[in-house]
Amino acid sequence: MSNDGSADLVQLLTPEGERRKHPDYRCDLDDAAIRDLYRDLVLTRRIDTEATALQRQGELGIWASLLGQEAAQIGSGRALRPQDHAFPTYREHGVAWCRGVDPLRLLGLFRGVDQGGWDPRETNFHLYTIVIGAQTLHATGYAMGIQRDGAVGTGDADRDAAVIAYFGDGATSQGDVNEAFIWASVLNAPVVFFCQNNQWAISEPIERQSRIPLYQRAMGFGFPGVQVDGNDVLACHAVATAALQRAREGQGPTLVEAFTYRMGAHTTSDDPTRYRLSGDLEHWKLKDPIARVKAYLSRGGGADEAFFADVEAESGSIAQRLREGCLSMPDPHVLDIFDQVYAEPTDELARQKEQLATYLAGFETGDGAVSA
Amino acid sequence: MTQLTLAKALTSGMRAAMESDPKVLIMGEDVGKLGGVFRVTDGLQKDFGEDRVIDTPLAESGILGTAVGLALRGYRPVCEIQFDGFVYPAYDQIVSQVAKMRFRSQGRLSMPIVIRIPFGGGIGAVEHHSESPEAQFAHTAGLKVVACANPADAYWMIQQAIASDDPIVFLEPKRRYWEKAEVDESATPVPLHSSRIVREGDDVTVLAYGPMVKTSLEAAIAAGEEHKSLEVVDLRSLSPLDMDPVLASVRKTGRAVVVHEAVVNLGLGAELAARISEDAFYALESPVLRVGGFDTPYPPSRIEEEYLPDLDRVLDAVDRALAY
Amino acid sequence: MSPTSGAKQFKLPDVGEGLTEAEIVTWRVKPGDTVEVNDVVVEIETAKSLVELPCPYAGTVADLLVGEGETVAVGTPIIAVSDGSDGSDGSDGAVGIPAEEGAVEPGLIGGPAPGGRTSVLVGYGPKTTEAKRRPRKTGAVPTGVSSATAQQGVQSAFSTEVTPPTPELDVEQAEPAVPQVADVVTRRSPGPPVAALGGGAARVLAKPPVRKLAKDLGVDLGAVPATGPGGVVTRADVEGHARGASSTPEAAPTSGSETRIPVKGVRKMTAQAMVASAFTAPHVTEWVTIDATRTMRLVQRLRADRDFADVKVSPLLVVAKAVCLAARRTPEVNATFDDAAQEIVLKHGVNLGIAAATPRGLVVPNIKGADQMTLRELAGALSELTDTAREGRTQPEQMAGGTFTITNVGVFGVDAGTPILNPGETGILAVGAIAKKPWVVRSRVRPRWVTTLALSFDHRVVDGAQGSRFLADVAALVHDPAQALLH
Repeated sequence: MSNDGSADLVQLLTPEGERRKHPDYRCDLDDAAIRDLYRDLVLTRRIDTEATALQRQGELGIWASLLGQEAAQIGSGRALRPQDHAFPTYREHGVAWCRGVDPLRLLGLFRGVDQGGWDPRETNFHLYTIVIGAQTLHATGYAMGIQRDGAVGTGDADRDAAVIAYFGDGATSQGDVNEAFIWASVLNAPVVFFCQNNQWAISEPIERQSRIPLYQRAMGFGFPGVQVDGNDVLACHAVATAALQRAREGQGPTLVEAFTYRMGAHTTSDDPTRYRLSGDLEHWKLKDPIARVKAYLSRGGGADEAFFADVEAESGSIAQRLREGCLSMPDPHVLDIFDQVYAEPTDELARQKEQLATYLAGFETGDGAVSA
Repeated sequence: MTQLTLAKALTSGMRAAMESDPKVLIMGEDVGKLGGVFRVTDGLQKDFGEDRVIDTPLAESGILGTAVGLALRGYRPVCEIQFDGFVYPAYDQIVSQVAKMRFRSQGRLSMPIVIRIPFGGGIGAVEHHSESPEAQFAHTAGLKVVACANPADAYWMIQQAIASDDPIVFLEPKRRYWEKAEVDESATPVPLHSSRIVREGDDVTVLAYGPMVKTSLEAAIAAGEEHKSLEVVDLRSLSPLDMDPVLASVRKTGRAVVVHEAVVNLGLGAELAARISEDAFYALESPVLRVGGFDTPYPPSRIEEEYLPDLDRVLDAVDRALAY
Repeated sequence: MSPTSGAKQFKLPDVGEGLTEAEIVTWRVKPGDTVEVNDVVVEIETAKSLVELPCPYAGTVADLLVGEGETVAVGTPIIAVSDGSDGSDGSDGAVGIPAEEGAVEPGLIGGPAPGGRTSVLVGYGPKTTEAKRRPRKTGAVPTGVSSATAQQGVQSAFSTEVTPPTPELDVEQAEPAVPQVADVVTRRSPGPPVAALGGGAARVLAKPPVRKLAKDLGVDLGAVPATGPGGVVTRADVEGHARGASSTPEAAPTSGSETRIPVKGVRKMTAQAMVASAFTAPHVTEWVTIDATRTMRLVQRLRADRDFADVKVSPLLVVAKAVCLAARRTPEVNATFDDAAQEIVLKHGVNLGIAAATPRGLVVPNIKGADQMTLRELAGALSELTDTAREGRTQPEQMAGGTFTITNVGVFGVDAGTPILNPGETGILAVGAIAKKPWVVRSRVRPRWVTTLALSFDHRVVDGAQGSRFLADVAALVHDPAQALLH
């Protein structure tokens, strides 16, 4: 298995923290912007780590860790305009951060108190989709809606909108994803297909999903594909920006393959030692997305010790807030589920709700309160 | 005789099937190297090789569609769908192809395919991992549907399902995977499509399958303390249903309660109630009552225990039946 | 080691089934160390693998409560962390990044998970359950719908013909008088059973087994007064209707020249039955007067007999026996006319009904299988039957299934009558008073015990010859009980 990506891999910041140039993509960000990205990366990782710990302590049922994938998510997430819409899988906590979704809201799904606790209409960030790949069709349809609203190719930077669909390497085998590629291409939909190839679908390596690098699949469907170093936040940002702009201008879809690695387990109870070699992990540790940005900023004078300490402190308090918020998250009430099924409620559901209420009231704890 | 968990009993049963017939294949996501997300296929790829235990690409439709082709070529694929909520991409292949192949070929073509699906809730899971879609498959002519409830049945039923020339949706109660019991590997098993009385009683017949069998047995114990005697029947085969023991039981007790996690509306309970009322009408002292899920999608895991039928809900229905 | 006061104790987290303990392998901290939340403090080993446990508390390690290499059970406190309440340097609330940043945590599918669960890939994992019922409030009805609503629903669903529910007669009743509505499945209106209003008339409500019984007994459900909850016709109602069950007639309103007694309950049923019988079966009555002296002597002898010491022996006993014996030669009197099937149904065995006047009215309980009984058994059955009837305790089953009836008009001093058949039967024998009367015995006139037996029979089933023969047989046996040896 390749640990290094193809020769076409777009990279603008090496693992050692040195800037590189690329003929097609440029990073226009100044040090202030890169410091902001660094902060995004650190806080995202901290949230992820805290959530992992919370799961170990039984406060969350599971957690899908993004460890190692921060750059791909922050880089692409920060390339989005407010009017763009994002369709995540269930691991895009970094993109959620960029969209302004309170990290505590993410926890609700994994704690089992809700199935998506934020409003996609307000955040332009869809609910997490656990069924693999289904969201790529949703994203394509949403993009078709944008076309019909005349919000493509007007030249108005605040109006032209694009959609970004996130999915993993495993998802590219699903029928839905391939159908989405077909639809987006023949209908010229303004959607960026952003694949985080983290090399693993639970225990199955990328070779079980594709014989060729994933970005090359796009050619078969008739739109451009780009492979970017998924651990390089600058490259991810540049490539995503370009792809989104193409879409907004009406040039149709792009497939961006962010070549990265799932440093953690699939979810918190998975045991990756059963199916992968520790050598690979060590190899990827050397390509850590945060370390290279820190190295760049330190070496280049873009940030000082005080800055790093501030970010560290902020990450600590965010984690604390997350923990406190998680532990005090109220459980839903079972009777509420009956009102959330239909726009027009049915008599049948009303009856079932009433019957359940009476039934629950017959117990000694009596108020229908939920026991965990 | 061995003490096995339900999961390990399935592993043993599949191992025995693979040893006795080289045409048996196992295919699914993460079944090989990892041994399955519930470890049910643990060790099988190591012993039988990658050609017979296949880690497939991530595509359920692909798993079933290629299984059809393998079956036409003479193999006996045992497909694993990783979780109940993920069977839907494969639904078209199952109902349009697998279910109809024998019929449309006038018996020339066989689909000896087993579709293993961990089903049901009670594991505190995120969405799509706690579904009970069995009625949809039982409603599809051309498919057979069974559900094991304990390790011994798991051990024998998986072998019988693999040996069957009919396509079988094989439901495994995932919340019971780690429950242990004695498995006698030298016993003679009962027929696959038979139901069984797992606890005798006189007052009310409780019909259950899969994860709810244990719940019903616990309910019977609790009912015993209230001097109510429950007869619990494990249906085992959902399509075809083995009604003789069911009807005999209802004729004895006069009252029936069906328990399943699946939504009550149009669930297996509806079919059972209809058949019982038709074939044991004069025995009924009370209508057939059904305990199951409400007409909502499966809720977040923190309230699943209020949603799923439990011992108290079963006994509530028993009390209502007795009140007639 | 004892826990330090003021310190928080971290207990070995609950493990799932089959794994109830773990071994402490390596402590990563020692007393005095500062720990942050989520710092890994210990490595433990379960049956499956090594697990690092992160500490849920921040503070200073006060004590390691279990030594390395020791195996302890779930729930055992393993480390005490003081959070500053006992004066030691407490945490300022800041949390640090866990020690192993980027490390892969070992998974334990099937292994322990917090809260007594078993670890799974996608959630908290399954819990173990107990075979115990959750305690309910007293008086909680098994229901999804309140009694009031159910009751209302029930009342409104009914036609006026059905009597309101009185639960006493239905022996199967549990606490709620009205069966409640389903758990999840809802009915169109609450509370069973709902009378379907089809075709203009309200339908009778009865459970399937009761319907079958009514069919078997030839009882019209519509004619049976319902006493079950919700206006349901119960098994007892049907059986009672077939035999004339008990219910207390009410006091009558009086006015001037007349008193009106409402015809209801038993009286109503009796009236209906009589009409049904009288105008369905063509009744023929024959009678015979006989010298029953030998029966009376037999009765005296039996009364003195030790075997019969604890039962009542009366001439009726002998008549009953005679009827059973005679019925063998003329089975048609022990039959029923099935008009619908156009069949005469000869009954095997005699369920001998004895008409009894009780405080509640006319009751006809029967002795099942009287023909199979010895005289002693028959005596016992008769005694019990009459005692029960006198006390008004006759049960519905006792009144169902009779095949022939004896009515003792003699107790009133009456000689004979033209009894009306019990509906569904083809023969009824009235036994008159037994009194000393002049009789010709071997050409002399002597006082003898004389009685009249009057037999009514259904002429569709029993013809004159048969009826006469039967009556003659009974008479012969009463006249000379020794004739029983011939049967």
